Amino acid sequence: MLLAASLRPPLNNMNHEDSRLASLLRSSRPAPGLPPRFQQNVWRRVEAAAAPAGTESWLDALAVLMLKPRLAFAVLTVLMVTGGLLGLHTGNQTLRHVAEVRYLVEVAPNSAH
Amino acid sequence: MNRSLIMLFGAMALAATIFAGAYFASQRACLMCRDRPQDALNWLQTEYHLSDTEMTRIRALHEGYKPKCEAMCAQIAAKKMELKSALASGTNVTAETKARLAELAALQAQCQAQMLEHFMTVSQAMPPEAGRRYLAEMKSQTLGLHGEIESSMSDAAGHEHHH
Repeated sequence: MLLAASLRPPLNNMNHEDSRLASLLRSSRPAPGLPPRFQQNVWRRVEAAAAPAGTESWLDALAVLMLKPRLAFAVLTVLMVTGGLLGLHTGNQTLRHVAEVRYLVEVAPNSAH
Repeated sequence: MNRSLIMLFGAMALAATIFAGAYFASQRACLMCRDRPQDALNWLQTEYHLSDTEMTRIRALHEGYKPKCEAMCAQIAAKKMELKSALASGTNVTAETKARLAELAALQAQCQAQMLEHFMTVSQAMPPEAGRRYLAEMKSQTLGLHGEIESSMSDAAGHEHHH
């Protein structure tokens, strides 16, 4: 019994050896660092996986966009104003042409002979 | 998908209707409000930004030219009647018909020359830039028309020859 006790290494010494070994192992295999924006990419994948696939095409998105009252009102206003201005411009051009023809008929009726 | 497509087409049709409505309404309103029978010379003042003094001078020139132009027109109309009666008498181009045609052409040339003289006098009564623009416009409107007809005729003849 006395012999067995003398052969066993002391407990304190063994714990010390284990921690040294563990630190040696850690330093021999360094853990790779995380890639840039790792967390953002993970969340993006999680969100994409959670969204129902293929239910919303670009057409649907456009239809939804058009139904927004503020945007619809703005587009219609722009169309009305543009159409009105273009109509006024064309009307003015027509009137100018009519006035020119009226003048030409007075000064150059022979060109219509 | 189909519902969205119908909505898109509906929206496009509505937009086109609103645009066309605004366009035609404003055009019509413009024509109705401003197309009053007015002095033919008003166009000159508006188009060439002429002052009242310049307009007074141009109006005097215009009033002086008008009786000459009317007299020339009456002569041309009379000559056309003569030509018509010369043509009515037979199926051949007679010497009389040729003479009437030559007289008509001479009268028309005289009328054009008188008209061009008037355009030049009027252009000189305007500021230089406006005068140049006026003269160019009058030439293209009164003489250019004949040139276009002639060139289109020669083009057509050229095509026929090619074929």
